[in-house]
Amino acid sequence: MRHYSILEYAKFRWFKAAVLLSTIAAALYLWHEPPIKPYGGTWLGYALGTTGALLILWLLWYGIRKRSYKSTTGTVQGWLSAHVYLGAALVVIVTLHTGFELGWNVHTLAYVLMLLVVASGFYGVFFYLRVPGAMTQNLGEDTLDSMLLRLADLDRDVREKALSLPDDLFALVDRSVAGTRLGGSIVRLVSGRDPACPTAAAIDAWATIGAKLKGEPAKLGKDVYSLLLEKHELLQRARRDLRHKALLDLWLYVHVPLAFALLAALVAHVVAVFIYW
Amino acid sequence: MKFLVITKGGPGRPATKKTVSGQILRVGRNASCEIHLPDPRIALEQGMIMFRDGLVYVEGEIGTNTLSTTRKKVRSVRLSPGEPIDVGPYRLEGAPAPPGYDGAVQIELLRPAGVAADLASRTSQRTLASLGLPKRWAAWAMAIGVAVVFLAIPAGRVLDLPWKDVAQTSGVGDRFWNPGPLILAHQPIESRCAACHEVAFEHVKDGACLECHKAIGHHVAAEMKPASLFEGARCTSCHREHKGTKTTHRDDDAFCVACHRDIRARFQPAASMNVSDFAKDHPAFRLTLVDESGPKRVRQGAGPIVEKSSLAFPHATHLDPRGIRSPLDGRAKLECKSCHQPDASRRMFEPMSMTKHCQGCHNLQFEPAVTTREVPHGKPADAVTVIEEFYANLALKGVPDSFQKAFGVPGEGLLRRVGEPSTAERQAALALADRKAKKVTQELFEVRVCKTCHDVGVAPEWKIAPIGVNHRWMPRAQFDHRMHAQTACADCHDVAKSKRSADVAMPTITACRECHGGSKPAEKKITSNCLLCHGFHDAESPWDPNFKPKGSARAAGSR
Repeated sequence: MRHYSILEYAKFRWFKAAVLLSTIAAALYLWHEPPIKPYGGTWLGYALGTTGALLILWLLWYGIRKRSYKSTTGTVQGWLSAHVYLGAALVVIVTLHTGFELGWNVHTLAYVLMLLVVASGFYGVFFYLRVPGAMTQNLGEDTLDSMLLRLADLDRDVREKALSLPDDLFALVDRSVAGTRLGGSIVRLVSGRDPACPTAAAIDAWATIGAKLKGEPAKLGKDVYSLLLEKHELLQRARRDLRHKALLDLWLYVHVPLAFALLAALVAHVVAVFIYW
Repeated sequence: MKFLVITKGGPGRPATKKTVSGQILRVGRNASCEIHLPDPRIALEQGMIMFRDGLVYVEGEIGTNTLSTTRKKVRSVRLSPGEPIDVGPYRLEGAPAPPGYDGAVQIELLRPAGVAADLASRTSQRTLASLGLPKRWAAWAMAIGVAVVFLAIPAGRVLDLPWKDVAQTSGVGDRFWNPGPLILAHQPIESRCAACHEVAFEHVKDGACLECHKAIGHHVAAEMKPASLFEGARCTSCHREHKGTKTTHRDDDAFCVACHRDIRARFQPAASMNVSDFAKDHPAFRLTLVDESGPKRVRQGAGPIVEKSSLAFPHATHLDPRGIRSPLDGRAKLECKSCHQPDASRRMFEPMSMTKHCQGCHNLQFEPAVTTREVPHGKPADAVTVIEEFYANLALKGVPDSFQKAFGVPGEGLLRRVGEPSTAERQAALALADRKAKKVTQELFEVRVCKTCHDVGVAPEWKIAPIGVNHRWMPRAQFDHRMHAQTACADCHDVAKSKRSADVAMPTITACRECHGGSKPAEKKITSNCLLCHGFHDAESPWDPNFKPKGSARAAGSR
């Protein structure tokens, strides 16, 4: 069965809804002739503002709906599709609501926060469409756990074999076995690299130190080196997998807190406007 | 073919035996494999065992799954008893075939799945969530931060909350609520929101505006009861602030046209005509003419309009392209600006003045043969006195040359003659002076000088008809000549052929419409709404005669 992404959900139902909503808003904006200039305080301004505020509340509700596993109000897939498209339409509606009047104030703060939330959301959509494919391709038949098990086996093998090697080579192997990390910091997770990886360092150093081996130890050294290469390749794949997972999470650390800040700014904007009516 | 698969148990557990058959035995973690190795370190299809005069294990060759990412060696090894091979964590070894079997394989799990504790600890933080990055508390912190700085603190003053002093001193008060710049004139009060926004959740009241704009006029006079005519309208109905530094008022026509489209439906005694758009539906202009009975407004197009200035002034003669005869420099070429000079505002013109604009040519000399003296312009009696005194003086003291030129007879002033003049001589001199003065005065008023421009009444004394030159023809219109400076005067005021001062050369609406369109943009026209020419506020009708300012306390009061 062909896979349908959230963007294609129900034959682009929510895409059509968003285009319709934006078109209506834009047409009204062009048709409307405000007494002084377009801004949030004309009847159309209030209408667009109310629509925008309700949309924001509904978009925030998605955070609750996606956790309501018993809910049968639509499918979460449908909700996400609507969340994405109506969130994009929100940019049009709220921009028209501002009448392009921006300044250093709470009103523009709310607008900018809205733009940032939507932009981070777009980023999320981009990752959700791109990353899972890359993730599957990277993992192949493995899982992260199976790769770890094999790493553990490799460590045992390589240490055993390296015992008969000279001290400097054994030290390289030992550092690789005892010091190799996966993840552990936001930079390492998101970049999928560890510049201080002892396994990579061992491989780099092997080229020069390992070449000095002669005879029987040279054969052993070659075995150890190929084990290190195998380990390094596994590590790269494991780190890429961690990076993929981190990318799927990272944007949410921006999207969610900014959405809450937006909610507060929206309330401040509405209350301020009506206090100073 | 039939094979026996012997899987060794762990310590103290018996081996299990399984019979499989086929040409090829697949080895992998896939449950459908004939030799099933259930361990995540093994690929789904790791390799296969074939019978080639004995068992042969094959891995990583063409034919096995090339998409597999699980590491495989490329090898093909004969499985013989006593020569085990490692496949991942397993050890495979050929065994002697029991009776009835073609072969046997012995399988042993050498290294049970497990990750050493230290490796596990070095690989434990695999997700952003495991790093303890803030999401939920960051969300709350940001939301609360925004709410405090941009809502709670600014609202302190207007809602009279306990921290209202903080709001005023912290610098994060309601300034962040300001949605846009005020007009320049309001900038001194820009930081004092309370100057206009007096009560929370209520519209700005007219009283707040009138505190400063006490003298602002209403649209109509008090007898038209503007309060009921404009019920529900507030200053802010038209004047919206925070819309930039240029202007506060709406300039669409909808507000005006709502009433003026059918003005008598709104106010029965209204004198103005209906109007809805300058281009399509605007009455002809009214000119304000002033005569003895006061100003009158006369609509253009209803009949000929004449100005009763009681002056004779032919524009055509003065603007003759060949020039006009001048006593100074032959023929003088005059232009409009020779006489019509802009006033200080450059919007309108200085009034005409005999001294400034006419007298250079039209001098008032009465005896040019003898003197360049002129009679004063103004009261006829003053002119008569000057002439009488001049000839009396000449009769008394005149030198023979002047005497003869003035009186036309040889002689000299009485006092210049030798000896005491006789009574007869005195009377003759007086009569001579008197006769001459009367003749000159009559000529001056009735023939030569005054008559040139004025209506002169002759009996019983000379009288100049009062001057009624109109100066402001459209006092209500906000016309600015400076704005039209690039247009030639004659484009609107066609006087080149005017021979009478009664001619009125004020442009009609048709002339204006050549450039000015209506409120809707049109090609090659200036979009012109009501407020381009008209004002709303009539300075003579105060907005609210009963308004009492709250005094200085408010203007200088707290923010």
